Amino acid sequence: MKEHDDVLQKILEILAVTLPEGGPEIKADLDLIDDLGLDSMKVLEILESLEDSFDISIPMNVMPGVRTANDLARELQKIIKSE
Amino acid sequence: MQATPTFHNLPLQKGSFTTLVEALDYAARGETGYNFYSGRGELCSVLPYANLQVEARSLAKKMLSIGLSRGSRVALIADTHPDFVVFFFACQYAGLTPVPLPAVIQLNGRQEYVRQLGRLLDDCQAKVALATDEFMPFLTEAADDLMIPFIGSLQDVKNLPDSAEDLQPKGPKELAYLQYTSGSTRFPRGVMITQKAVCHNLQIIIQHGVKVRTGDRAVSWLPFYHDMGLIGLLLVPMACQLSVDFLRTRDFAMRPRLWLKLLSENKGTISFSPPFGYDLVARRLRDGDVEAYDLRSWRVAGAGAEIIRPQTLARFAERLAPAGFDEQAFLACYGMAECSLAVTFGSLEDGLKIDHVNSDQLLEHGRAIPVPPAGDQEEYRSTSFVNCGVLMPDYDFEIRDSEGHTLPERQCGALFLRGASLMSGYFGNLKLTREVLSEDGWFNTGDIAYRIGSEIVITGRAKDMIIINGRNIWPQDIEYIAECQDEIRTGDAMAFFVHNSQGEELAVMMVECRISEQQPRLDLINRLSRQIRQELGIDCVIELVPRGTLTRTTSGKPSRHATKNIYLQKIATDSQMS
Repeated sequence: MKEHDDVLQKILEILAVTLPEGGPEIKADLDLIDDLGLDSMKVLEILESLEDSFDISIPMNVMPGVRTANDLARELQKIIKSE
Repeated sequence: MQATPTFHNLPLQKGSFTTLVEALDYAARGETGYNFYSGRGELCSVLPYANLQVEARSLAKKMLSIGLSRGSRVALIADTHPDFVVFFFACQYAGLTPVPLPAVIQLNGRQEYVRQLGRLLDDCQAKVALATDEFMPFLTEAADDLMIPFIGSLQDVKNLPDSAEDLQPKGPKELAYLQYTSGSTRFPRGVMITQKAVCHNLQIIIQHGVKVRTGDRAVSWLPFYHDMGLIGLLLVPMACQLSVDFLRTRDFAMRPRLWLKLLSENKGTISFSPPFGYDLVARRLRDGDVEAYDLRSWRVAGAGAEIIRPQTLARFAERLAPAGFDEQAFLACYGMAECSLAVTFGSLEDGLKIDHVNSDQLLEHGRAIPVPPAGDQEEYRSTSFVNCGVLMPDYDFEIRDSEGHTLPERQCGALFLRGASLMSGYFGNLKLTREVLSEDGWFNTGDIAYRIGSEIVITGRAKDMIIINGRNIWPQDIEYIAECQDEIRTGDAMAFFVHNSQGEELAVMMVECRISEQQPRLDLINRLSRQIRQELGIDCVIELVPRGTLTRTTSGKPSRHATKNIYLQKIATDSQMS
């Protein structure tokens, strides 16, 4: 089973390739929209990569409670456990 | 599991029904129906019209036991899911009025979504609110202090006892549904559409717009809380007994290529999208993907719901030509929830018809003088518009100037419509209804158009709304966020949209503000940008300006158009100075 840190590591890697260079340093507790400037289309690209990386389906009702990469890692870990 | 077939033995009946129940009762005699696909493009549930009829009738009996008066509103979270479809038709059999509500949630958007649902539930005075299990927590929270007699999931309704009453399906003069326009989220407008009006629209789409024939099959990722998805791709196929393959909107947005996969594998012939969907596919397609698709069956690639830019669709067609996509399949259309759905259609198998006009004449005199499509030459500049085609039968139209006079051919003005598919009004809002719908039945579309014979070309919106990534954004909603700040008074913010150097639409808000110190000004700008991004999901340029800068009409209403010109002059001056 994947540990929280492994999942988080993967999320940060995907963020690093998705976000344009020269932006703020990517950290686990930054607000994905406010601090990192993700728009709704970029969010979907990131979800696609995460679904493929972990071979999971991310339900729609997970997203509204996610603010930071840490939140996302916590939600994903729950999904990975249950699948 | 097997998807419902394309070919079957039931004779094709082209939408000549007077109620939705009549249409479903006929379709239920065949083998076709709705198919739902997962986020990986695998078939995950099948709902033949025959089963839908049985389930909807049985659920209707249960719903009647709640003891609601006829025509009561039943709010439904319109997720792309079989439960929604069963709920929707159960209302038809039970004599209740379904109200599809948005099923869209943004990252960190819980609060805003719950607030939006609450406003809509309140506005339609819902007596019942239903959702799939996935959306139930949001619905329950939104309905918290609204005193709605029954809130539940499919299973909750199934647990109700059967009513002893006989089913009395909705008649032609009763409402078919209440459709919230994708208008301002603060000030919702629920469009009332009767059975007769929507059935009329279904029939003209089937017989004159798409000209449905045996062997057709539809594919759709359009949301059910939007008129093009609900009427165009859920009700139209049912009213002509076609099978449909559905993909969730989010799954399409995440993996746009799934749309092409479904069309290829199921030999889909009819699919619609706003230009934004074609653009998304063209951008996300990878080299080498194209060989995997076979789009030769796709005979109607409808485009509507926002201004169509020819270049966007041309890029899609070019990239997918090797997969057998035919550019002639593009079908421009124009419509809106207030007209059930369809108003005009281009001609089939002709592709897009582009009208090139002189830009200066257009800007200065509102005249659309045709010019050769040569591009920017010495003598003149040209602008291209997509011709939206001819008005569907039983509609009248007029293009009027600001004094209400009818304008001649190729002169731009406000587009007014009259016809059998029109709404009865906005629910519970007579004032707003009177503003757009006259006593003698003329509806002001709020769009600017010119005509060429009986063909209509839409050039812009008189309404101030714009569409970014498929989402409608209203300046009022941006301004409202500003007015909620302590430093800003009501009426001191004006938002509008400009084109950036790449031709994309960009939101700008000018705010009159007295603060002179640098740091508080920066704080205010940052706070506004953050809240706008959170609530509306867009970036917005914020300009703080001295008092007296914004333009207002003599009656004190904001003049966004005039303020936009001030902004454009300002940036032109700034760029000259730098």
